[in-house]
Amino acid sequence: MASVPNLAASFDPATSPDLVKRAELSEIDASTKVPALFFLGSAVLWLLVGTAFALISSFKLHTPNYFGDIEWLTFGRTRTAHLNAVIYGWSVNAAFAVAFWLMARLSRSVLRHSGLLMIAGAFWNIGVTIGIIGILTGDSTSIEWLEMPPYATPLLFVAYALIGAWALITFRFGKSGHIYVSQWYLLAALFWFPWLYSIAQIMLILEPARGTVQALVNWWFAHNVLGLWFTPIGLAAVYYFLPKVLGKPIHSYYLSILGFWSLALFYNWAGVHHLIGGPVPAWVLSAGIAASFMMAIPVIVTGINHHMTMVGSFSALKYSPTLRFIVFGAVSYTITSLIGSLMADRQVNEVVHFTHFTVAHAHQGMYAFFTMVMFGSIYYILPRILLKEWPSAMLISVHFWTVAVGITVYVVGLSIGGIKQGLEMNNADIPFLSTTAASVVTNTIPYLLSRSLSGVLMTIGHMAFAVNISWMLLRPRAPQATTPTLFQNPPEMEVAR
Amino acid sequence: MSAVDPQDKNPKIEQAGASDESIQQVHSILLREKPEPEENHSPMPLFLLGFISAMVLMVAIYFVHNSGGLSQSFSFKQAAMVYDERFDPKNAPSAGAEVKIDPLALGKKNYASVCAACHQPNGLGVPGVYPPLAKSEWVTGSEERIIRILLHGLQGPIKVEGKEYNSAMPAIGPGGYNFSDERIAAVLTYIRQEWGNSAPAVTKEKVTEIRTKAAAGRTTAWTSAELDAIP
Ligand code: HEC
Repeated sequence: MASVPNLAASFDPATSPDLVKRAELSEIDASTKVPALFFLGSAVLWLLVGTAFALISSFKLHTPNYFGDIEWLTFGRTRTAHLNAVIYGWSVNAAFAVAFWLMARLSRSVLRHSGLLMIAGAFWNIGVTIGIIGILTGDSTSIEWLEMPPYATPLLFVAYALIGAWALITFRFGKSGHIYVSQWYLLAALFWFPWLYSIAQIMLILEPARGTVQALVNWWFAHNVLGLWFTPIGLAAVYYFLPKVLGKPIHSYYLSILGFWSLALFYNWAGVHHLIGGPVPAWVLSAGIAASFMMAIPVIVTGINHHMTMVGSFSALKYSPTLRFIVFGAVSYTITSLIGSLMADRQVNEVVHFTHFTVAHAHQGMYAFFTMVMFGSIYYILPRILLKEWPSAMLISVHFWTVAVGITVYVVGLSIGGIKQGLEMNNADIPFLSTTAASVVTNTIPYLLSRSLSGVLMTIGHMAFAVNISWMLLRPRAPQATTPTLFQNPPEMEVAR
Repeated sequence: MSAVDPQDKNPKIEQAGASDESIQQVHSILLREKPEPEENHSPMPLFLLGFISAMVLMVAIYFVHNSGGLSQSFSFKQAAMVYDERFDPKNAPSAGAEVKIDPLALGKKNYASVCAACHQPNGLGVPGVYPPLAKSEWVTGSEERIIRILLHGLQGPIKVEGKEYNSAMPAIGPGGYNFSDERIAAVLTYIRQEWGNSAPAVTKEKVTEIRTKAAAGRTTAWTSAELDAIP
């Protein structure tokens, strides 16, 4: 379709089928406006908070006495606060907003009961705030990925239940006969997350399982949050925005199906690979490793599907910010997942486990894939719910390049440093820590510095993003038709973002 | 009039509320975007079939080789053990053997959880109410009597270390705390060898013998007079 309304349609809008659809979309978007703004706004604030804690923690790794004598800014607390702020604050808030915006559009249903969502949003963010304050004051449960103290988590659960119920209502009342692939992922994710979260809360916090079962449940949860919650939401967004921005269909429905079901089948098993070498029955580990290898199937299938959709349209990357972020995310998804399968191999794991390599991998998944996809989605969604254009293409450009270069430096630096660290740790001749000779710990310092440097870059990007959003919120709506804010103007108005 | 979408047979579209007015107000941002996404039905590339089959085969082989003994030659119990290639169930020291429990440790634990409430952790009891166990001639004396006290309880006047008590102690064995013979033997061994007491250990077999033979069928608590009659 033309990006500028064509002549015939503008004479008699009511007869144009496409315009009817546009009107419907516009109403759906309008109905999502308040809650979407609330969730996205909270997400961005948490992103800034999380980034601040990230920087502090990163500096501490090479300069340990930086803020060393302030109890609530010690490493154990800032790192944990960082994780919880970016996961439960930024990522989940953004995921919620993107999920229900997509869900409403794809179900062709205006957002009903948005009050429910606002209550959920309030509960969620109050819960995260209490949780992070709890962590900083020393109340962390010290269970990885579930560090928030038990007095904060019930709030999160209530919030979640409301959102889950809401999504089902929307889907149920939807008008669309066909269920688009993004909707499978969204619905599945909305089912999976409460399952994971409630089992983990019960078996780890309320009525803790004993012995190594506890570790198993912990990693089952922590890994599945990535694979069965963030991954499906991220993929749902990719599946929507790729064809949407390019204006062409997804390559193959069959590949979509295969990718979805193989993910659902294999991912749930994979988390155990975190316990390789631990006191866990061998067959449990081997099953986890086997499933991790099998994850190559959904990843490659999805990768092919996305790539074949892109083929012939790569030049659009020059113009559309949404597309550029989304494609960066989709490519990272493929790379990081394949590396993940490799890391589950016992021989590889022997080297990279307990090193910075794992940290690099985690950030490649949560940042290079998920966060980038969320950025891309936000660049698309906000103009539609605010009916304003992004104020500055320059700031978008700064945002993209700082975070893209930043996360690349981060991942490459820590991956190399991590492999080196792992080989040295397995070598008994090299001391673990020594202030006089070269040691495993002191050898990691250059890589830790590169991590801080990339952290600074990403911080700049996040500031640019936040400034652009605030500016957009504050500026008045243009009365006349506007043109999109693109990196550069395409020869013809081919790309609509 | 409400707008009708000629290409869309779905009657519900009319409920979308897409009135003329709202259509005219559709913002340029929404007008310029591309249509909602769809899917093509391109066939799957053939090599995927080969790739997936190869993966399934390789991973299956991997699992069978690395399951650490889930195959038929091992029991499930062994399979559930931690994988260690040096482990050989045939040479494992504890294979099939029963684990030995130190009666003193078991006795101490049970004393703390049950007896200490009355006889106190230091074994000195409470003057006038609960008789002491430390230095008590009953404790260090005939095992026949104290086994009976524990099995069925004790009531009525009793003289311990020259002082008179007249109260009741509940049965620790059947009908009371339901201690097993092993636990009774362990707790008795413990009180006979703690706080400066030194008397020989009490065996589980002796407790079983008294419970099932000498004092079989007894349900009421013993009295000091009855016990005095037993050697
Ligand atoms: C509810 C309180 C109570 C508990 C529990 C209790 N006893 Fe007693 N025990 C007594 C009383 C009271 C007497 C004295 C009974 C009497 O006056 O006839 C006594 C007497 C005794 C005597 C004989 C007198 C002495 O001091 O040597 C022994 C031996 C004894 N208890 C051992 C134990 C052991 C071993 C346990 C734990 C398995 C135990 N008791 C648990 C209250 C208790």
